[in-house]
Amino acid sequence: MGIKIDRDKCVLCEACVASCPNGALSSGDEICIDEEKCILCGACVNNCPMEAITLEKEQAAADEGSSGIWVAVQQQDGRPIPAALELIHKARELADIKKCTVTAVCPGKGSGFEKELIEAGADEVIFCISENMADSDDDAYARILIPLIKERNPETVLFSATILGRSAAPRIAAKLGTGLTADCTALSIEPDTGLLAQTRPALGGNLMATILCPGTRPQMATIRPGIFPAPFPDETRTGKAEYLRAGDTTGRGFEIISAEAKKESGGISDAEVLLVAGRGIGSARNLKKVFELAELMGAKVGVSRPLIDMGWAEYPHQVGQTGATVAPKLLISLGVSGAIQHLAGMGGAKTVVAVNTDEAAPITRQADHVIHMDCVEFVDELTRSFKERKEL
Amino acid sequence: MNIIVCVKQVPSSNEVRLDPVRKTIIRDSSKAVANPFDVTAVEAAVQIREKHGGTVTALSMGIPATEKLLRDEIARGADKAVLLTDRVFAGADTLATSYTLAKAVNTLGGADLILCGKMATDGDTAQIGPELSAWLDVPCVTDVIEIKETDDRHIVCVRNTDAGTETVKVELPAVITVVKNLTIPRLPSIAGIRKSLDAEVRLVKAAELGADPSRIGLDGSPTQVIRTFPQEKKGEAVKIEADKAAAAVMELWEEL
Amino acid sequence: MYDLIQSADKIGAEYLRDESRSTGHAEYAVFAKNEEDVLNALRFANEKDLNVTVQGGRTGLAGAAVPYGGLILNLSQMDRITGMELQDGKYILYAQPGVVLLKLRKMIASRKLDTGLFDESSLGIYNRFFTDKEQFFPTDPTETSATVGGMAACNASGARSYRYGAMRRHVSSVRMFLMDGRCVNVKRGEAFANGLKASLPCTDGSSVDFTLPSYKMPEVKNASGYYAAPDMDLIDLLIGSDGTLGVIVELGLILDPLPEAVWGSACLFEREKDALSFVDKVRGEKNIASLEYFDKGALEILRQQKANGSAFASLPDVPKRIESIVYAELHCRDEEEALGSLLRIGEIAELAGGNEKDTWVARNQSDLDGLMFFRHAVPESVNMNIDKLRKTQPSLTKMGTDMSVPDDKLFDVMEMYRRDIEKTGVRSAIWGHIGNNHLHVNLLPSSTEEAGRVKEMFKEWAKSVTSMGGAVSAEHGVGKLKASFLEIMYGPEHIEEMRSLKRTFDPEWKLGCGNLFSKGEEEKA
Repeated sequence: MGIKIDRDKCVLCEACVASCPNGALSSGDEICIDEEKCILCGACVNNCPMEAITLEKEQAAADEGSSGIWVAVQQQDGRPIPAALELIHKARELADIKKCTVTAVCPGKGSGFEKELIEAGADEVIFCISENMADSDDDAYARILIPLIKERNPETVLFSATILGRSAAPRIAAKLGTGLTADCTALSIEPDTGLLAQTRPALGGNLMATILCPGTRPQMATIRPGIFPAPFPDETRTGKAEYLRAGDTTGRGFEIISAEAKKESGGISDAEVLLVAGRGIGSARNLKKVFELAELMGAKVGVSRPLIDMGWAEYPHQVGQTGATVAPKLLISLGVSGAIQHLAGMGGAKTVVAVNTDEAAPITRQADHVIHMDCVEFVDELTRSFKERKEL
Repeated sequence: MNIIVCVKQVPSSNEVRLDPVRKTIIRDSSKAVANPFDVTAVEAAVQIREKHGGTVTALSMGIPATEKLLRDEIARGADKAVLLTDRVFAGADTLATSYTLAKAVNTLGGADLILCGKMATDGDTAQIGPELSAWLDVPCVTDVIEIKETDDRHIVCVRNTDAGTETVKVELPAVITVVKNLTIPRLPSIAGIRKSLDAEVRLVKAAELGADPSRIGLDGSPTQVIRTFPQEKKGEAVKIEADKAAAAVMELWEEL
Repeated sequence: MYDLIQSADKIGAEYLRDESRSTGHAEYAVFAKNEEDVLNALRFANEKDLNVTVQGGRTGLAGAAVPYGGLILNLSQMDRITGMELQDGKYILYAQPGVVLLKLRKMIASRKLDTGLFDESSLGIYNRFFTDKEQFFPTDPTETSATVGGMAACNASGARSYRYGAMRRHVSSVRMFLMDGRCVNVKRGEAFANGLKASLPCTDGSSVDFTLPSYKMPEVKNASGYYAAPDMDLIDLLIGSDGTLGVIVELGLILDPLPEAVWGSACLFEREKDALSFVDKVRGEKNIASLEYFDKGALEILRQQKANGSAFASLPDVPKRIESIVYAELHCRDEEEALGSLLRIGEIAELAGGNEKDTWVARNQSDLDGLMFFRHAVPESVNMNIDKLRKTQPSLTKMGTDMSVPDDKLFDVMEMYRRDIEKTGVRSAIWGHIGNNHLHVNLLPSSTEEAGRVKEMFKEWAKSVTSMGGAVSAEHGVGKLKASFLEIMYGPEHIEEMRSLKRTFDPEWKLGCGNLFSKGEEEKA
């Protein structure tokens, strides 16, 4: 067990020293490891350009008897959530490589939607029906799945990395004594070993890590919703469904007293789509047009500081260091030049479209898409398009 | 009430630089901090103690240098600190870590309430809390945004769910994982720091926990990282022609 | 060749003002992208006989970037790093004037520089910098969207100037265009005055010959008027010249290695006099990098903002009984040294009448960010308050002072502030760099009549502070708003010396008009 450095391969380039998050490595005539600091994280192993470092461990052999890929389906109001269908579809792709079956297992109150799951890629659907179970009951979800997985022995179990999935899956993994990879964004099958390669962002997304679970079964992972495309239903597919009644899940010292649906905060910080208007919008009247467009798009409206200064919008709409920090999936920037304070407030946006007459405006350096035109014209056109769409 | 708070040492920054020539990864190893979620958990525990009495114990598994962070938790109001430190703990994934922490909770005589940060800023797995609860066979509430009330036998708290929020009541002992802004952690005072300098941090080795050697550290960790690579960065912006602008943006919107 | 020159009404009204919230007027504007553009702009101004006002981030508080008719020469798009050097073990970054401080800091911390303009030698230095100890640029004005050009023009400072001094110390070279298109390229240590006689070489072989003003600058933190002393390094004249001598097109910025341990501690006091006595006693502690003050007016505004704004909800609660907070930042060799300093600070706080329990200590970055947010929330809250007032009374401007006095005058000056503020009856908030006895006294008048009284009071203070051996502008520069204070501080004869110095650089009197001093007799005629 431990880190081994092959002195013959090592060229003392010190790449390992620089990569160690704990400063455990140092260089002299040879690379030295400070055992007081090393946590065997393996960062140096993966960073060594000479492949001179290895991390040795005792490896139990995997259970040969396990087979099949399971997808744990999460329900909302008796229906499968979209992320579950995405996952089944992905599982199908992996199962075709592995030449194995896909089983969708559905703990919860709903049943009867096997067709949908089969058309998404499942060969087999297992309903574990518990009429009184709340959709959010992670505890019951785990309790239902644990005995079933033990009994049927799948090779892999996949969960959506929703709040429920990320809470229930670890309980199951611990009870089964197996590994679990959180919040994966890519899955594949290792060609030589047939193992599930689970890739996830690490260090706040600065680094991607691919993880295997060679020795214990099942291989388990939670997968971020929205990463894989939603499947087109394949109506030619067939499969079977099994209806089980879940055991009693009450009396666990755990009780849901009340639930509240997601509130629309009205704030711009958690908007998914955000239109941000800057000085280029020209007038308070034009800003009204932006609000109308936002209404059509289900978006919210932010503004840059000059518009607040001119009294066209209220402070809660301000995007920037001294206003709100926003992280929408889509941000459409309208006539904003992009002062550094403003850019600092929108750093979390996933896709940025900048509409500006000045192609060199600083905002364009932060944008994924640049549209060189008058932003008011653009707002008019997009509004027209959305109105037409609505009429269809 | 006896409260144990699990605290992890994490690097102060997740910044990764790429060597301009060799393209290998460079990380700043100079500063370690307590996981900010865990600092919130300590604050929440101290607030419960201030209302109901009892003790708050900060528990960590880590290298000997982690002792410094545990002292900092004492400066912020924890009463005791325990550090699980042993070569054989190294290389632990979440399964082995949660097993080790569960063994430690039992060795310390159990607890009425175990608080964890929802996740750590370096791993982002959010798995330790629920895994720990499974090992201990106690209820678990994750993603807690508010602690409403506690008595000797229950805790009532509000958690995030996929559909919104929920108020749940659980029997103690239980594991609770908290979001970072559940409450604002207080800053230590100079008086608190003075006190922490003389406080004892109990160091515990694997043997003392009676842990199964095959379940701890690297050997007890089923998962293994085989590759790491830098995330692909945003490239140059794509230009969209004015006459196609509305259609193109409509498409982006539909892709959401 | 004048393609870039546009009519001033084509650009936004914000380019007619800066953070001083005063507004000017202009006919033309240029957003220069390189030195060539700057030269063209100057040529255009000479042809058309236009005044030229240089702008950077427009974050100044004295109105130096507010145009005075003529042409706006905005340098915010000249924002690249052009090269690197290593001098006496210190890294020098060559920066265009439009580089924004926040961006500079991020580049240095992440070590990600745009090396597009670097030559071979710069690239070599960059590779070394990349793996070397972490560096930082010590000058830290509160407003991080300031540009380095603006910071050099007003010799900016910030909280850490208590230890590191103002911007001047951290500039190794200045490249500047004169109004007639000539260029001076001065490196620190290369051009000195001979007594008060000076000759500054230009790149074309000519020189600017002049006599330095003969005043003795006060021995306090000072950004008032030209830096002048016998035998001085002439680079120091260009820094802090408020855009009146030439247009800065490149600066050499000297980086320092980041101290191993950066800690913050805020000591809370129930009485202002205890806080002052703490400051007096704690000055001997060598590791203090900044010493900042917040009075009860400032804390009250903060409490209000915290109560009604989510942006400030994460601020720590300040108990009602607390009247003053003194924040000290420690820069130390290692944590052991920092701990020693911290414990001594605790002892001193108790000696001064405080309590070690009434302290907040930040020993890691996230806690420091919390305290930093607290410090910045104070001016931000006051600005929000002003913005609210201005909606009904647009004529009001923010009324704040920027005066410093010698150490032994701290108690006297505070007594004067308190006495006079009470007399005016106007709401106030005092904060600032108490380590340098440099407090920003901010008044929040609710009518033009009150504003008038405050203005008179400030003039009186300028006289008193001068007689205490202090400076009327310690860090913001004089700009346009404080020109009358400069005359109070130095008197008409010395102002005349400054005027004649300016004339040797800018005989037609076009650059930075209205900054520091008026043109004088001719203008009145």
